[in-house]
Amino acid sequence: MSRRKHGAQWALLSPYGVWSVIFLVVPLAFVAYYAFTDNGFAFTTENLTRFFTAKSSVTNADGSTREVYTYLLICLRSLKLAAISTVICLLLGYPLAYIMARAHARTQRMLLTLIMIPMWMNFLIRTYAWMTILQDTGILNGFLGALHISPVHIIGTEGAVVIGMVYDYFPYMVLPIYSGLAKLDVKLLEAARDLGCNSAGVLRRVIFPLSLPGVLSGVTMVLIPSISTFYISQKLGNGKFFLIGDAIEGQYTANNLHFAALMAFLLMLALLLCMALMKRLTNRLVYGGGA
Amino acid sequence: MKKIFELRNVSKSFDGETVLDHINLDIYDNEFLTLLGPSGCGKTTTLRLLGGFDQPDAGDILFMGERINDLPPHKRNVNTVFQKYALFPHLNVFENVAFPLRERREPKAEIAKKVENMLSLVMLSNLAHRRVTSLSGGQQQRVAIARALIGHPKVLLLDEPLGALDRKLRKDMQAELKKIQQATGITFVFVTHDQEEALSMSDTVVVMSEGKIQQIGSPMDVYNEPKNAFVADFIGESNILDGVMLDDYRVRFSGQTFQCLDAGFDTREAVDVVVRPEDVDVVPVERGQLCGVVTSVTFMGVHYEIIVDIGGFKWMLQTTDFVAVDERIGLYIEPDAIHIMKKSRYSGLYGDYSSFSNELDELSDDADGEAEA
Repeated sequence: MSRRKHGAQWALLSPYGVWSVIFLVVPLAFVAYYAFTDNGFAFTTENLTRFFTAKSSVTNADGSTREVYTYLLICLRSLKLAAISTVICLLLGYPLAYIMARAHARTQRMLLTLIMIPMWMNFLIRTYAWMTILQDTGILNGFLGALHISPVHIIGTEGAVVIGMVYDYFPYMVLPIYSGLAKLDVKLLEAARDLGCNSAGVLRRVIFPLSLPGVLSGVTMVLIPSISTFYISQKLGNGKFFLIGDAIEGQYTANNLHFAALMAFLLMLALLLCMALMKRLTNRLVYGGGA
Repeated sequence: MKKIFELRNVSKSFDGETVLDHINLDIYDNEFLTLLGPSGCGKTTTLRLLGGFDQPDAGDILFMGERINDLPPHKRNVNTVFQKYALFPHLNVFENVAFPLRERREPKAEIAKKVENMLSLVMLSNLAHRRVTSLSGGQQQRVAIARALIGHPKVLLLDEPLGALDRKLRKDMQAELKKIQQATGITFVFVTHDQEEALSMSDTVVVMSEGKIQQIGSPMDVYNEPKNAFVADFIGESNILDGVMLDDYRVRFSGQTFQCLDAGFDTREAVDVVVRPEDVDVVPVERGQLCGVVTSVTFMGVHYEIIVDIGGFKWMLQTTDFVAVDERIGLYIEPDAIHIMKKSRYSGLYGDYSSFSNELDELSDDADGEAEA
């Protein structure tokens, strides 16, 4: 490439460069700076130590209490709920994406619109809507009552949090899988059948492996926001299921900026690690070949 | 000879448009059969019916005497080399070729041995662990052939497999395919629109047009004894003239009476007369049976291709002697250079060289077609 062309490219890129320096690099540097300083802005690892050693007592189901590492427990809980939500999104989303990709062009457009419409509404409003549905005296129990079925208690359970996450992040699972499947060359499916595969074989040996990049990006796009969410657990979990996002928000609103920054920093590291792993996995599984 | 495939009155239409119209065709064991015709003639549809990717609307498909109309592709002892190869991009060369063996759960050692043998047959042994997306067109072609052959199908179906290759590579692959067919003894059904390819490779050529079979025969038969104006025009170059059979062995066209080798027509029956460009001798005007003015001369390397206007009909001739544009020349035609055909619905559509190339005809046809659609 010529020097001049290179220069033109840089000129075109520079607005984005300036943007990302101001709004990404500098704030992230601040997060890191806050994470490892105390209120007087002197270097400290105290926040880090606190995160890994802070203990609190929780009440077991039988009334007894036990000591736990507060933040590690919160992290594990976040990971667990996010993982459950992601798996449910995948199990529901993959078949839908598959059906969409195989459907008539008009049906495809209709289904796509249906999936995206909820995304036009504010995330908070959608979560509030779920509160009114899932409350003990809410729409769901009203409906069950009309059918003479005994009411269910959902709000304030982990189940409610998972429902909220699945609902909110479902489109992010369906869309990348769908776009991968829609691009699949029909000739490849015919070739697989020609070479001895029945329908299940075609799915297992050709469609699924070739849809893996979509699956992995869907998983990434659902897992990461579900790990870091705070609002859903507050509203649908009645604040009983403190997640890592809630912890950060709580510390922040309590004006405990340095500890909040540390948790945000660690969460970011973990998620970056997660994404790097996903990328490696995609490359290995899909494009690596290997006998 | 044993029949492998039999098509009995097979018809197929898509969206109300007839693509195959009562096709009858026998395919024999160990045969290299080519389905030849322009795009839209139904050759690829025929291949897809044989492979099991589509089902006929009417008629029967028999495989070794058994009706298999609704048998799915994976249960047919037939494999396909697809037009753009359809290699699995997530698998390397070795795994692409091993694909059908893995489906049958053959032992690993067995698979490795078979795949290695197959890769050496198609000369790809050193590329076994390469990604298929990193291969050239010709190499991908070889992988597709190896993958289709490894399960030892009774019949190999090839859908314009050489279309994407450049001319020289295509020639090599033609020879190689022929060699592989003879070495393996597998029946090949080959689809192409390239008449030269069809003539040079096949035992049997099936010429198709508009969903119907126009002629089935050996390459020599379809070239020397075309059944109608379509076949004469599609295979090789032909001057096709309106003629009248005076009686056996005598035909009149272009205002002259000629001796010929054909008999068995009604007296004064209207016929199509085919004269191949290379069979006409260019002679001085006084010795010519026909005379005309040269309107164009094209140097083709081995020969000149010249267009001669004789009474408003443009003849195309191939000659090694140079003639000049606007020169008056005589034409001399030996009796064995004249081929007589019955009139058909294709009469009058082909055989005049006022529009010189077939391609121009096709382009203007396409344009008409699009205008209608």
